[in-house]
Amino acid sequence: MAKTTLAPRKGFLSENPSVLRFLGLLALFTIIISALAEGFGVGVISTSFLKVLGMTLCLCLIAVAMDVVWGYCGILSLGHFAFFGLGGYGIGMWLMYARTEGIVRESLANAPIPATEGEVRDAIATQIFSVVGSTELPFIWGFAHSLTLQLLLIVLVPGLLALVFGWLAFRSRVTGVYLSILTQAMTLALSLYLFQNDTGLRGNNGLSGLQNIPGLLHLPQSTIALWFFWASALALGLGYLLFAWLVSGKFGSVVRAIRDNESRVRFLGYHVESYKLVVFTATAIVSGIAGALYYPQAGIINPAEIAPITSIYLAVWVAIGGRGRLYGAVIGAATVSLLSSWFTGGGAPNINLGFYEIVWTDWWLVLLGLGFVAVTLFFPKGIGGLFDYLVRKP
Amino acid sequence: MTHRSLLAALATSTALVAAPAIAQDCADPIKVGVLHSLSGSMAISETTLRDVMLMLIEQQNEAGGVLGCQLEAVVVDPASDWPLFAELTRQLLTVDEVDVIFGAWTSVSRKSALPVLEELNGLMFYPVQYEGEESSRNVFYTGAAPNQQAIPAVDYFLEELGVESFALLGTDYVYPRTTNAILEAYLLDKGIAAEDIFVNYTPFGHSDWSTIVSDVVALGAGGKQVGVISTINGDANVGFYTELGAQGVSAADIPVVAFSVGEEELSGLDTGPLAGHLAAWNYFQSADTEINADFVAAWKEFAGEDRVTNDPMEAHYIGFNMWVNAVEAAGTTDVDAVREAMWGQEYPNLTGGTAVMNANHHLSKPVLIGEIREDGQFDIISQTTEVPGDAWTDFLPESAVLTSDWQALECGMYNTETETCVQLTSNY
Amino acid sequence: MPLRTVLSRALAILVLSMLALTAPPRAAVAQDTLQPLLQQYAEELASPSRRSFGAVADALLADGRPGAADFLRRYEAREVVQRPEDGLFFYAEDAGDLVRLIDVDTGAAVADVSSRDVDQIRANAGVRRVIAAALVPFELNAPERARREAALDAISRSAEASQIAPLADSIAQEPDPDLKTRKERLFLLLTAQFGAERAERLEAIAALGGDTSIEARGVLNQLTATRTEVAPSLPESANIARVLTVGEDLTQAEAYADLVDAGLAEPAQTPSELRAVLAENIVDGRVGGVPVGRLSDPMARIEAYEALEDAGAVPPRAAPDEAAQAVAAHVFYDEYVLNDPEITTAAQDALDSTAQAIATYQMADLVLDGLSLASIFFLAAIGLAITFGVMGVINMAHGEFIMMGAYTGYVVQLFIPDYTISLLVALPLAFLVTFGAGVAMERAVIRHLYTRPLETLLATFGISIALQQLAKNIFGTQARPLTAPDWLGGAITFNDIVGISTIRVAIFVLALIFLGVLLYILKRTRLGLEVRAVTQNPGMAASMGINPDRINMLTFGLGSGIAGIAGVAIGLYAQVTSEMGASYIVQSFMTVVVGGVGNVWGTLAGASLIGFLQKGIEWFNPSNTLAAQTFMVLFVILFIQFRPKGIVALKGRAAGD
Repeated sequence: MAKTTLAPRKGFLSENPSVLRFLGLLALFTIIISALAEGFGVGVISTSFLKVLGMTLCLCLIAVAMDVVWGYCGILSLGHFAFFGLGGYGIGMWLMYARTEGIVRESLANAPIPATEGEVRDAIATQIFSVVGSTELPFIWGFAHSLTLQLLLIVLVPGLLALVFGWLAFRSRVTGVYLSILTQAMTLALSLYLFQNDTGLRGNNGLSGLQNIPGLLHLPQSTIALWFFWASALALGLGYLLFAWLVSGKFGSVVRAIRDNESRVRFLGYHVESYKLVVFTATAIVSGIAGALYYPQAGIINPAEIAPITSIYLAVWVAIGGRGRLYGAVIGAATVSLLSSWFTGGGAPNINLGFYEIVWTDWWLVLLGLGFVAVTLFFPKGIGGLFDYLVRKP
Repeated sequence: MTHRSLLAALATSTALVAAPAIAQDCADPIKVGVLHSLSGSMAISETTLRDVMLMLIEQQNEAGGVLGCQLEAVVVDPASDWPLFAELTRQLLTVDEVDVIFGAWTSVSRKSALPVLEELNGLMFYPVQYEGEESSRNVFYTGAAPNQQAIPAVDYFLEELGVESFALLGTDYVYPRTTNAILEAYLLDKGIAAEDIFVNYTPFGHSDWSTIVSDVVALGAGGKQVGVISTINGDANVGFYTELGAQGVSAADIPVVAFSVGEEELSGLDTGPLAGHLAAWNYFQSADTEINADFVAAWKEFAGEDRVTNDPMEAHYIGFNMWVNAVEAAGTTDVDAVREAMWGQEYPNLTGGTAVMNANHHLSKPVLIGEIREDGQFDIISQTTEVPGDAWTDFLPESAVLTSDWQALECGMYNTETETCVQLTSNY
Repeated sequence: MPLRTVLSRALAILVLSMLALTAPPRAAVAQDTLQPLLQQYAEELASPSRRSFGAVADALLADGRPGAADFLRRYEAREVVQRPEDGLFFYAEDAGDLVRLIDVDTGAAVADVSSRDVDQIRANAGVRRVIAAALVPFELNAPERARREAALDAISRSAEASQIAPLADSIAQEPDPDLKTRKERLFLLLTAQFGAERAERLEAIAALGGDTSIEARGVLNQLTATRTEVAPSLPESANIARVLTVGEDLTQAEAYADLVDAGLAEPAQTPSELRAVLAENIVDGRVGGVPVGRLSDPMARIEAYEALEDAGAVPPRAAPDEAAQAVAAHVFYDEYVLNDPEITTAAQDALDSTAQAIATYQMADLVLDGLSLASIFFLAAIGLAITFGVMGVINMAHGEFIMMGAYTGYVVQLFIPDYTISLLVALPLAFLVTFGAGVAMERAVIRHLYTRPLETLLATFGISIALQQLAKNIFGTQARPLTAPDWLGGAITFNDIVGISTIRVAIFVLALIFLGVLLYILKRTRLGLEVRAVTQNPGMAASMGINPDRINMLTFGLGSGIAGIAGVAIGLYAQVTSEMGASYIVQSFMTVVVGGVGNVWGTLAGASLIGFLQKGIEWFNPSNTLAAQTFMVLFVILFIQFRPKGIVALKGRAAGD
């Protein structure tokens, strides 16, 4: 790829007012929510809801990435949550290690003989892994003591996995449904692997207590939640900007062309595989970052988070929001996940039909499923498409 | 249909008053959070516990409530999604402002809720048998610790059935892993050779059991009495027992003792071929006492004639009643006051005798071993006196030195060797 | 405790015999009835234990009072209760809500009482085995065949030397040829274990050679049981199985641990012991002159200890090579528990002669299991092979059609109690139900999405989660029983190693039938021709007078209907829950893709590959099924990289792209 393909044209933002509008709205949203949050003493928005909002922003970020890979490049990846989860595990390892280290050092401080580094490490390992019946620190935790190294891993591990997997798959010209099933197999393999207790990441229990940030334990969760909310909003803004820029130039045109007719693009002399690989890897890295911001707010990560079904949901969010438009992905992810937490959290009032009472905890999934069908059938461009239609009508 | 609509009326998560009148002196009604999955893979077990909580609250309200106030159930659905347990715990404690939570089933869901409970100083009652190695300031464990279920069952195998060769089969998650680690250490301690212990882990919902059952049968070639200790969870048991039946493995040849199979699980099975296999619990529906007869009758009236009772339900029954008594004793629902009033609380077991809440937040309960009958109930063939629950097992070297005593030591993870409190929070 | 009970029992027998001597008439009266005898053993009878009950049963039987054997039989069947007021034992019979007490001697009804007023005595399985063993001599010649068979079971479960004589006596009188063979076999096994005559015993052991049954191998393995021992030199008297080499058979550390266990070496000082010793010797913030602050360094700790050692405050440290020297100075060996070389050698020879056969049989069993797993995968995936493979529709709700089929079977069983008839009704009904559901889904949803294949994935996923939740709302969250008829209940066993449950054979047969029927429909019928035409080129097919709408509808219905039948079959051997479909869907897609899309043979190949592969990996690591599944999926990923079109790839135009 020559440099020119990636170079931004002048006035990228002025040529894409929708990006600017989105960023403006996001900033406004962040300010309003922050002002109402408990952390500032107003308390209209509870910390638990603020966390939900922060997590939703992270989900919006991975949805944007998914939209780029699917809506723009035509790869229906059913495995992007694997990268999201890897990011979460990456940050989770540091959070657990550092917090445990603090506890261990404090409890060993009173011992008559000061502890050796080996003893401290053993104590940390026992503390973290006794829950899965082990006392050894697995070698993959070798970098867990260092935040910098672990942050590097959050970028490197999903990136490398995507690079290797994508290189193999694209090189073999696996496309369409086969590629979807292949990506699904990837996330299934990863979740099965992590489910095993002896793979060093605590099996089904995963990593927990991630909301307690080492070094910040004295701060109330209302403050920490606010910080993470800001970080998530910032990440979403930057991610959105990055992808909007990526898909707007010539690179974007090639990528869209690949989506529409891969063979023709290849015959025109483009190295299709490289373009796909760049898109796949870049979205994987962004997904990993989104995961690294999501799980400290969720508090726990475990293999169920990357089971195949979560990645299918991701595709559904993008479809509902409207593929091929980045704000569509944001709308889709935000709508479905907030509705989901409204219904399961019990916000929705029951409907009494006289002969039968609709309890939403029982019927919400039926509604959601039928909603997917309706959107696919009647609004193939999703909510975003509807939005476009309304905006451009006058 | 009547019970269904009643449940429906009660099951809303927005706070609902379960009885018409609220006593005048109650500015704030007393709220009880119910945190059990109503959808997803764990709904199979947890929905029953939501129902039993609603029944207990209804009964308490009919009896005049607590401190003269009516109780209000706040039901939420964590949907078997572990991070949602943390989120909804926070919501229950800060938005709904409940006074106590009854909830969780799997270890991972408890570990998800723990940090939030400890941060916000909430109070939770956890009703399921679990792997131990934990004692949180803010949780009362009304289910069995390993020494109240697994160890007595293994003793029964060793002493009463003369088993010399063990197959430990489990679902691959934390409870079976930790329990089996404890049991392996215990068996080696008892002089069982390492090669006579066969361990196998399978995924959740596993259905292809033929090879594993063949492996277990093949253990018999060693010429020793073989026994199976099963920590297989949930619906995977259906395939497992079906395969045992198909391969003609009778309880007389290879007895199986299960820690996760109770009346509720058996109702999804053809129990004919299982007769004689064993389960270890602290409660069986067939316990022949008057209070149990009343409890079962009340449950059937509330939930339906074909419903059964099981061990975690008794755990909630004891936990809820102890909490009510502790609140009455403390004169307030304030968590710290109730916590202190909980220590030493006594309440009759449904199986006879009295359960006591110890200062390590675990109960003293009797251990029962039952043989599966053809009708899906259990014949109780062994019942011990009350065994105090042990938060930290004595059979793993790292935890043998640990103890929990919130009353005298004010610590849930106290190292008796260095005489220091390792940490005040729990190790989630 | 055992000593105490033995003593008290001995005392009781002594007292009883003295009573018999001093007051013959009274004792004679007492001897006619069972109750007084039972009262002597009241404690053991009320709370029986496997370890002590053997003596009680023997004593009851040895006394020769009438009804003693019968009492034990009813005791074993848990029909005996004890009345707490007077401690008397009764037989219990059901009398409505009450329990009717029957006198053990007269057989007369004494009273009807509530079950809470008497103590039920429930002999556990261990005690029952003891009773069955004690009753063996009484049962071997019993008139009922079932009782004789039970006695033989009792012998094979708890063999005792004392059983040889009665067993040998009963062989000649045995009328039933099957039982006679079994008796002869058991006699052989007992002789091998306990035979008094050495020659007979060796002969019996030799006769067990080549016998692959579990009982025979169990006997031989017991005879050749070994234990690991350590000694300064090989003892002359021991019956050595083999000498172990340190470094090959056991590690240096294990060897040293054995030495410590045997009391031949001192345990090495652990770091925590070192720390404890240092902590005891802190003087003015220093240990052996080393400041406490420096002791976070392991080297400083050794330095401090050596300083203490020089001062004579602590025992000297072990030299680094002391452990190695100690290990080198000893022999490690496996010793036969049975110190009789002639017997152990014979038993070992007998065992060795079966090793080859056992390995072959185990392989055969593995192949059977693989075949069975493959047929289950095939059955789950074959409907998908049509809807996805032939039509190209990604139906994520395929798993839910399997679930619908299984629930149909469950509902049918609610109405038709006879399992055979209900199965015969359920199979076609499940086909009809899911055929209907498939057709409805095709008409309402999929028809509109043929031009957008990836979106069918989303729409059908929506249907899938809606159907799952609906099933949960209707049938509840609990697993439902779908019971196989008795003739499908057992297993087909070739010997103790090779065997397979009947239901799995039935699934295999069903899979074969499906394969045949589908191949026939697709290759030999008008419908099949039209299906192939429509899938290859709908436009051209339509212009030839084929109605593509109708064909698509029928094909989709067929694929869904087959999933329904598969659901009944799967439900018979595994659990029926609302989530059962979800556990098959990903696997089924992989099966179809690995096999090659658009071809029924491909699906067969895919299912076989995945099934056998998974069993193969499980065989390498039998303790972790999850790992086997992980590796299997990884293999699938790699396989698709190298054969993107699957095993059976279509060629030419049909392959499309």
